[in-house]
This record gives sequence, structure tokens and C-alpha cells, in this order.
Amino acid sequence: MLFSTSRKHKIVSTGTAETVARVKGFVVDPVTRHVVALVVRKSKQGDTLPWTRVSGFGPDAVTVADESAIGPADEPIAALAGKSNTMLKKQAISSFGDHIGTVTDVAFDGDTGAIQSVLVDGEPVPADRLLGVGSFAVVLEAEPTP
Amino acid sequence: MRTSEITQRPVVTMAGDDIAQIKDIVYAADGGSVRGFTLAGRGLFSGPLSTVLPWSKVAALGSDAVMIRDEHALTDPAELDAGSARSIGKGGNILGSQVLTDAGTDLGRVVDAIVEVSGGHEQCDVVGYEIESSEALENAGTKVLIPLPDTVAASGEHLIVPASARNFVRKDLAGFGAAVADFRKQLEGGGS
Repeated sequence: MLFSTSRKHKIVSTGTAETVARVKGFVVDPVTRHVVALVVRKSKQGDTLPWTRVSGFGPDAVTVADESAIGPADEPIAALAGKSNTMLKKQAISSFGDHIGTVTDVAFDGDTGAIQSVLVDGEPVPADRLLGVGSFAVVLEAEPTP
Repeated sequence: MRTSEITQRPVVTMAGDDIAQIKDIVYAADGGSVRGFTLAGRGLFSGPLSTVLPWSKVAALGSDAVMIRDEHALTDPAELDAGSARSIGKGGNILGSQVLTDAGTDLGRVVDAIVEVSGGHEQCDVVGYEIESSEALENAGTKVLIPLPDTVAASGEHLIVPASARNFVRKDLAGFGAAVADFRKQLEGGGS
């Protein structure tokens, strides 16, 4: 699953079969390298859907048990949300302090939310090299010099 | 790399946040290595910071950012003061100095310093200076690079280099590293 293709997914309640919101963005914890929440729009409940409340993340839609899964961001998620923590279109630098390129996409596991790879100018970088997502850049561990 | 390229470079944590930028460079008293950096805040209107970044806390000196592990790398200025010369950038200690050979020839004036990270990551060596050359060198008035021995005598007014340094002058950074190595090897070998 890619951030770019699932960014406008509708969020459907399996209880009422109604569209309750749409995906607007992703909240990533760079330490655990997981998507921890979805930022949503068009919901009266709030703007955050914690990953733990997602029933299914499919190729066409996100499902939740009911609309109450969406709410305001709680403390740990709020700390990771915000513009400085978005990944798409942010510059990527290596841990050596050198510019690598721009983050064009992020691949993740729809079942677990685990980040699989970070695409820098279309080239996948394994998620275990992701060190941080901050106000200046996405930091990727430099490849060991041979 | 030239030290003028390091100033204003952002200081970035491994979490990706730019928490400061390099304001100035602090050299060891013998002028042979970089001890650390003074800092300014990020952004157009932020002033100097009261904290400094010692070289020992620098994770990497990259072409786009100075990397540190986290914000704890920024420490009290007292850590830098012992055994430091004031930075060349601002205090004017080295920048603008006249470079004299030990034979008494004026080679020119210092406009920039060239540093190189050596010994894994232990030291940030000052390996040479960019000087505006005097008549003693070819192409007087142009900027050239001159290699330095491990330590140099510097007074703020003059900087003394071995006379043989002029044989290793380069016009640009390409190949300068090799010139420094050759020059230092020749000095160690006891040649003149």
C-alpha cells in the first residue's frame, strides 16, 4: 500500500455502511516505523483515526466498526502529527548530512501499519534505515561505505 | 571543504529537526583543528544562541547539514573555552592574516580555511588555507590553496608555513587532499 494511492480513500463504517470520512494524511512514528493514525477530513467527530481503531485498510477503502473510532488526536498522536512530521515531498538527507532527494512516496503494510519502505525520487529505501522525520528533513541511515 | 561553506549550515538532529545553524567556527589554539561551533537560531530573525556545539558531539559534517544525535549535543560555551582560539571568521584571528614562509616570503592573505575530517571521526583537521596570492606566487592576486603542516605558528598578524609549502599550492579543491598528504609526508621525511 502506498501513501499516494490511499490518500483519498473513503472511510466506511461497517455498522451503517455509510462513508463517515475521508483519508487526508498519515501520522507516522519514526521510532517504531509504523503508521499510528490517519488524519481524516469531513468528519464531525474529529480529525484523527488511530490505527488501532482501523478495522481494515484495503485497496479501495478504509473500514471502521463505527463512526466513534474517529475523534480528536490524543496526546502521543498529536505530538507526532503536524506539518513538520509529514513525509511526502520532504527532502531526504542521509545520517552523514548529505542531501539524497525528495520523498515521493511511502510504502506500508495495510494489515499492520508497518512502514515497508520510503521512496526517494522513486527509489525504495528499506524502512529499517528510517531514523527520523522532522522539520528539516526525513533522515535515512547512510549506507555503510564498502 | 571550505569553512565558509559550513557557516549557516543547519544543525539537524537524527530525528530530522533543524534546531540551530552554524554561526562561526572555533579552532584549537594551535590552529590545527576545529574544536566546535558557535550557533545561531534558525530563521531570518533569530539571533545567536547561548549554547555551542563541540566537535565531539558532531555525528557527521555533511554537505547539506551538520548532523547531531539529539538536542543534548548543544552544550554550555565553557566546554569550548579551554584551549581555544577565537574563531577565524569573526574575531579576525586568522582570516586576513599574512602568510609568511619560514624563509620570510609573503605568500598572500588568508581568505578561507580548508578542513577535513580525519581519523574516522576523531578530529576535524585544518589542512590548508585559501589565500589571495602575493607576487611571490604565479598569478598574483588570484585565490589559491596552500597546504598546512599539522601545527602552525599563528599570531593573528602572521601565519608561518614551511617554505616548501609553496611547491604544493593548488588552484582548486580537486587534488588538494593529495597535495596535503604529499606535503606532510615530505615534512615528516625531514626534507626541506
